[in-house]
Amino acid sequence: MEKKCPDYISNLNDYLDGGVTPELCAEIEAHVGQCKNCQIMVDTLKQTVRLCREGRPEALSPALEAKLAGLLKQHWDKKFGKK
Amino acid sequence: MKLVDAHKDKVFGMVRRLSGNNQDAEDIMQDTLVKAIDKIDQFRGDASFGTWLYTIALNITRGQFARKKQTELKPIEEYLPGATADGNHSGDEFALFDWKDPHTVLEAGRLRDIIDKATNELPFKYREVFLLRYVEELSVKEIARLTKQTEASAKSRILRARLAMRDMLATTFEAEYGKKVS
Ligand SMILES: [Zn+2]
Repeated sequence: MEKKCPDYISNLNDYLDGGVTPELCAEIEAHVGQCKNCQIMVDTLKQTVRLCREGRPEALSPALEAKLAGLLKQHWDKKFGKK
Repeated sequence: MKLVDAHKDKVFGMVRRLSGNNQDAEDIMQDTLVKAIDKIDQFRGDASFGTWLYTIALNITRGQFARKKQTELKPIEEYLPGATADGNHSGDEFALFDWKDPHTVLEAGRLRDIIDKATNELPFKYREVFLLRYVEELSVKEIARLTKQTEASAKSRILRARLAMRDMLATTFEAEYGKKVS
């Protein structure tokens, strides 16, 4: 029986992340090559990850840095005694 | 504690992304340090200190968010529009929106807000695996271990999370600029 679009969807992540057999890879590529919707699905799934990776690096604020340093010292001293 | 200094940015980045807001992330970082000192005798050096600290922080984050009520995502087949029982949906009326490159249409700040909002809307059990896989770039095996589930279950959640993210972004982009690119 001929496969339809929904039959491929559970393999798309393995396909995109490089975890399918060469046979399945060729089969998916053949389908995607002639199916506009699946082509868009593949492109936009790739972009979804790319866009999420572009997030700004989350840095600690100076205020939090100071708070954490104080907390660390206080608990360290409590546990091991002041040097 | 030079050891902590060397790893705190990476740990905070993960906590901030998973929690989705600064207040929770700051509280979790404080709890993480306190717990790390309490349990420092248990750190045996079979993992690196960074990995050990990262795991403590992840467990605290999970403890906080996993308790909250979580909505379920729809089954994966439903992310393909118009898919019928026989799998046919080739008609144009069911075409997915091809969002092209949103950078060319949306201002960077706006784009960032859209992505952050979509990420925060993912139920936590999906958000965590999605971010650990694609932003933290951990392997499926490592994610399965850290989130205490089988690799098959982690894999399935990662796929559903990615499909859901794509779906949310597509809906927002289409509303923002659908007419301009179609
Ligand atoms: Zn298709």
